[in-house]
Amino acid sequence: MDDVEIREKLLKCFSAVFPELNPVDIQSANIENTSGWDSIAHVTLLTLVSEEFGVEVDFEKFESAISFSAFLILIAETASPGCS
Amino acid sequence: MRLNDALQIAGRIGGIGKRSVHLLCGFTPLHLQAYVKAYLRLRFPEVSIQVLPGLYGDLEGNLERALGQSADGVIAVIEWADLDQRLGFRGNGGWRSQTIDDIVAQTEEKCSRLQMKLEALAQKIPVTLISPTLPLPPLTQNSPVQTSKLELRLNSILGEFLLKVSGCGGIRLMSASRLAASSPHHTRHDVKMELATGFPYSLPHADELARLGVRCLFPDEPKKGLITDLDQTLWKGILGDLGANGVSWSVEDKSQIHALYQQLLDSLAESGVLVAIASKNDFSLVNEALSRTDLLIRPESIYPVEAGWWPKSESVRRILKAWNIGAGSVVYIDDSQMELSEVAEKFPQIECLLFPSSDSAGILALLKHLREIFGRTEIREEDRLRVASLRASNEMHTDVSEAHSDEFIARLQAKLTLEDSQAASGRAFELVNKTNQFNLNGLRFTEAEWHMRFSRPDSFLITVSYEDRFGPLGRIAVVGGSCQGNHCVVDIFVLSCRAFSRHIEFQILRRLFEKSGAESVLFMFKPTERNGPIQAYLSQFGSLENMAAGGLEVSSEAFVKACPKLHHEVIEKWTM
Repeated sequence: MDDVEIREKLLKCFSAVFPELNPVDIQSANIENTSGWDSIAHVTLLTLVSEEFGVEVDFEKFESAISFSAFLILIAETASPGCS
Repeated sequence: MRLNDALQIAGRIGGIGKRSVHLLCGFTPLHLQAYVKAYLRLRFPEVSIQVLPGLYGDLEGNLERALGQSADGVIAVIEWADLDQRLGFRGNGGWRSQTIDDIVAQTEEKCSRLQMKLEALAQKIPVTLISPTLPLPPLTQNSPVQTSKLELRLNSILGEFLLKVSGCGGIRLMSASRLAASSPHHTRHDVKMELATGFPYSLPHADELARLGVRCLFPDEPKKGLITDLDQTLWKGILGDLGANGVSWSVEDKSQIHALYQQLLDSLAESGVLVAIASKNDFSLVNEALSRTDLLIRPESIYPVEAGWWPKSESVRRILKAWNIGAGSVVYIDDSQMELSEVAEKFPQIECLLFPSSDSAGILALLKHLREIFGRTEIREEDRLRVASLRASNEMHTDVSEAHSDEFIARLQAKLTLEDSQAASGRAFELVNKTNQFNLNGLRFTEAEWHMRFSRPDSFLITVSYEDRFGPLGRIAVVGGSCQGNHCVVDIFVLSCRAFSRHIEFQILRRLFEKSGAESVLFMFKPTERNGPIQAYLSQFGSLENMAAGGLEVSSEAFVKACPKLHHEVIEKWTM
C-alpha cells in the first residue's frame, strides 16, 4: 500500500467520524482544533482504521495519535511492519 | 454492514418527524449505537432518528430514567455483568468458590428488580429485550468441556426471568437461536476492545445485534395471504397421473417434507393467514384429494380453491378478488419456475417463491422464510375468524343480488357491540394502522403514540364488533376523538373492508350523536390515494370539495336526512 492510498483511506475514516470537516481541514486536524474529538471519537477512529486497513490496532500505541498526521505515520508503520 | 457505512447512513439528514429509541445497556454502547442508528435510518428513511444511550454500568437506573422520558421504543441489552459485576470481564470481585453462592443470590435479586423495571417501562413504550449474548468468564473450577453447576444455575435463573417478562404484553424477546444463526458465538466477543474501552462486541456482532434489534422492535408488516400450488408442492406427485390416493406426504412414501409444508400452512392459517390454492388440475379431482382425512391442513382453512386449466395468474387474480387484499401482501408458492414467472409478470408486487421439491434443505429454508414474513407478535380472535368471515362475506354478496337492499340488510340479524377500546387496544391499534379504504385520514401511530392516545382526558376511543347470521366478523371498526359540550371531533374512523355494505358506519355515527348529545361532529378528514370508500360515505353529508380547512362538519340534521333505516341490535359498553 503506497502513501497516497493510505492517505485516501485515512481521509475516509476521518470523514466518517467528523463529517463536518472537508478533506483539507481533515489533513490538519488534531485533538485541539477539532470539536468532537473525544475518547469515543478516538475509539471509533481506531476501529475504522482497523476495519479499513485490515490491521489489528494497538490501542496503547495509538493513544498518542492525536492528529491526522500522527495517524498517518502509525498506520504506515503498522501496515508495513519492519519498514521504517 | 461496515462501521464506516453505518456511520455514513446514521449521519444522513432525515425529514420532518422523529423516531427516538432508547438504547439501554450496562456497557459503553459505542459502535452498537452507530449501528442501531443506521438501521433505524434505513427502516424510517423519511424522519429524523435519535438514539438515546444510558449511563455506563447502570442498566437498572437506565431503565428507570427511560420511564420518565418519551420515546418510540426501547432496545435493552442485558449481559452477564449487568446481573453481577463478577460475571463480567472488567470485574475484580474474585472467582473463589465461596463467592459462587453469593453471585447466584445477587443474580436472582437483580433479575427480579429488572423484571419490575422492564414491565413498568413496557406499559408505556414497546421494549425489545436482548438476553446475554456473550460467554461467562472462566470463573469456575471445571474444565470448559464440562458444564459447571454455576452456569446451569445462572441459566436457570435467567430462563425463569425471561419467561416471566415474555408474558408482559409490551416486551419482545429477541430470539437467541435466530441471533446465533447469523452471529456465531465464537465471533461475538472482542475482549481487547472490552478491556480497553468498555465496549464488548466485535463489529459483526454489534452489526447483527442492531439489525435484529431494530427489526424486533419495529417489525415489518406481516404478509396476509399465501397462495400455493398443489402437485410437487402441497404434496408429492402429479394428481392427474396418480389420482387422489396416489399423491403423498409421509415418511413411508419419502415425501415427509411436504407434510412439514402442510403443517406450516395449517399453523399459519390458524394465526389468521389466508391460504388459497391455485392449481392446474380438474376441480373435482382436487376436491377429492383435499377430502383425504390424512391431510395435515384443515380443508376449511383453505379459501378459495382455484383449480382449472387457465393460466395461474388468472387463478391468482380471482383469489385476490375473493380476499380483497393488495397483491403486495401476498406470497405465491409453486415448484415451477415458469408458473412463478407467469404470475410475477402479471402481479409484480406478489412475492413469488420457488418450492424446490427435490431439495429438502431448500424447503426447510423456505419454511423458515415463511415464518419470518408471516410472523406476528400476537394472535387475536379476529385472526382466527378471518377465513370464515371472508367466506361468509363473499357468500353474502353472491347469495343475493340485492345484497345492498334494505330488506336484505334487515334479514341479516346483525348485532353490533360498541366498547371502550382500552380492552381491545391491540386490535384497535392494528386496525387503525392497516386499514386503507375506509380510513378517515390515513393517520398511522407508533405503539408509544398509541399509548399516549389513551391518556387524553376528554377523548374517547371505541372499538366495534359485528356478527350476523353468516357468523361473527370480530372487531371491525374503531372510532376515536373528543367531545366538549355539544360538539364532537372525530380524528380516527376506520372500518374493515370485510364489513362494508351493512350500514355499520351509519349506526356508529348515530350512536355517537345520541350518546354525546352533540349537535355536530367535525370529521378530521383528509383524502388519501386509497380512502375512496370513506369519501363516498362522508359526501352524503356534505361537499368534501368545499369543506373547511379543519375538516368536514356534519350536523345531526344532515346525518338524520342521509341515514338509511338501521336494523342492528346494538350493545353499548362505552362511556364518554
